Order: sequence, then structure tokens, then C-alpha cells
Amino acid sequence: MQSKKDFIEIIKDNQGLIYKVVKVYTDGKESGEDLYQEIIYQLWKSFASFRNEAKLSTWMYRIALNTAIVHLKKEKRKGNQVSIDEIVLNQPDTSDTLKEEQFAVLYTQIRKLNSIDKAIVLLYLEGKTHEETALITGFTTTNIGTRLSRIKQKLIAQIN
Amino acid sequence: MELEEMKSLWEEMSDKVEKQKKVTDSLVLKMTRVNYSSKINKLILYEMMGALVCLVAVIFILLNFSKLDTWYLLGCGLVSVIIIVFLPLFSFKALCRMRAINISGNDYKQTLMAYSKGKIQFLLVQKASLYFGAILLVCLLPVMGKLIAGYDFFKVTDIWFVYALSFPCFYYYAIWVRNSYIKATMEAENILKELQQGS
Repeated sequence: MQSKKDFIEIIKDNQGLIYKVVKVYTDGKESGEDLYQEIIYQLWKSFASFRNEAKLSTWMYRIALNTAIVHLKKEKRKGNQVSIDEIVLNQPDTSDTLKEEQFAVLYTQIRKLNSIDKAIVLLYLEGKTHEETALITGFTTTNIGTRLSRIKQKLIAQIN
Repeated sequence: MELEEMKSLWEEMSDKVEKQKKVTDSLVLKMTRVNYSSKINKLILYEMMGALVCLVAVIFILLNFSKLDTWYLLGCGLVSVIIIVFLPLFSFKALCRMRAINISGNDYKQTLMAYSKGKIQFLLVQKASLYFGAILLVCLLPVMGKLIAGYDFFKVTDIWFVYALSFPCFYYYAIWVRNSYIKATMEAENILKELQQGS
């Protein structure tokens, strides 16, 4: 029972991480809710095998990103889905409309990238070092650096 | 928007997200308890139901195989049995491969590689199913006509004529199938190629 309590605390402390992965990998409310639940479910499934050998955030990013790939966006689960309060996946509360628009543009630009670049840029924006990104993604640190410079070019091309 | 610009905007957004603690204990608990039936699981269920129908059809044809008394009916019967047996098997195998991806043990690259390979195989099987499904329709009709109604459709009807007339439709159907899968397969192949190039 203690582990369940721990798990809930971990999820509550790191809900921003899940929120951001969901926002980057889905663009609809329904698919977002689906992915959000699936990530929590997968995290819970592997929580017992998490032995603090890896950093908590590394473990969480791994599971969340892996789930985002395997998760099928158009999936519709009927009858067995927890209804997430709509606000959980809403944009952060801000009175600044311009900022909201900028956040939306930010997500749109990242979503346009392919699955490899999407994960790398997400981890970069999250302030992860090349070493941590390599640990989560399985790419080498040099490859991460190379890919990031390529992503820069892609983003410029996307916007222009 | 430059990457650095994105980063400062991201940090700003992250700060706001962090301040909003919206997930409650009970919501997390509910989500851990939910017995998910993912699309893949659902597809496996449909596949199993389909396989059961196929099994019944195969048993029926095999039990009455001796009633197929001409070379062309025997040929149609044989082709039908082969398609009915192997198509669900391949489809089931492709789905199981996608389902077997180890989310907790793999890193992102391994998962992406396994998923892309699985997707390519699954799309290939789906494409083959549409082609062979059309062939099955052509072969199964005279077989069932003979086994159920006792008629040799090739003798009592103008089935050859119908087949000849429907050939252009089949041709366009085949092109449509190919075009429908090109984009989806290419996306998965490109990801795979990129993963194999970079280490």
C-alpha cells in the first residue's frame, strides 16, 4: 500500500513531465486523455521494477516516451476510460493571450518533427544534458549533438 | 522560432505547468486500476473472431473436398484453403509482434525501431489481406456454390463472363490498395532508415 502512496506522490510531483509529453505527441483532447492515462498506467505497471538505479526522471521519460510511440492516436476506448477533468490537459492558466498563442505555436512546431527529433528536442527543452538524453533515448551523446543542430535547421525551415 | 527562443518559452510554460497541480490522488488511483484494452488488444480479439470463422470454413471445405470434382473447382478449393489458413496467421503474428514491445525495458531508440519494424510488417500484411481477400472472393464463390447448393457455377452460370468484366475493377482496387499504404509505410521506413544510419 505504501508503494501506491509513493507512486501517487511521484505522479503528482511530476505531472508536468507527463503533461508535456502528452502535449508534444498528441493534438486532440481525446487522444491526449488516452495517452495521459496510458502513460500513468504503464508507469504503474513498471513501478515495482523501478529500483532507484536510474534517476526517477530518466525512468519516467523513458516510459512516457516509449508509451507515446506505441500508443495509437486514433484509438477510442469506450466504457473503460477514466474521464479526466478537462482542465488537466488544458494550456497553463495565463491571462496573456499572446503567450497562449506562443505556447500553441511551440507545440505545433515540435509536433511537426518526426518521432526521433520530437523526443530529442523535448529533452533538450527540458534542460536534459546530452548524457541524460542519450540514456533515455539510446542514441550516443555525439549523435544527440549532431541531431540537435539538424533539428535547428529543420525548425528554421518549418517556420520560413 | 530559434531553438534557444523555444527553450526560454518552454521554461516559461513549464513554470506555469508546475504551478498547476491538477491531478488528484483519486484520479491517479483510478488510472492505475483501469483495465485498458488497447487498440492492439482489440484488434487481436477481432483477429481471433475472424480466425474462428476461417477455421469453420476450412473444416467445412476440407470435409467436403471430395465433392469438388473438376480440376478448376479443386484449384479454387485449394487456393481458398491456403488463403483462409495463412492470412489470419500472418495477421495475428504481426499484431503480436507490435504487442510484444517492451515499454519498460527498452530505450526510446529500441522501442521506435521495434515499433517501426512491426508497423511495416503489419501494413504489409494488411495490404496482402486486401489483395488475397479479393482473390479469395473469386475462388470461394464457385467452391461454396458447389458445396452448399451442389451447382458447378462455371457450367450453370456465366461466372467466367462476370470474372472477366470485374477484372478492371479488381485492377483499380489493387492500385487503390497500393496507394493507400504507400504513405504510411514510407513514414515507418524513413524512421527505420534514420535509426539505422545514426547510432
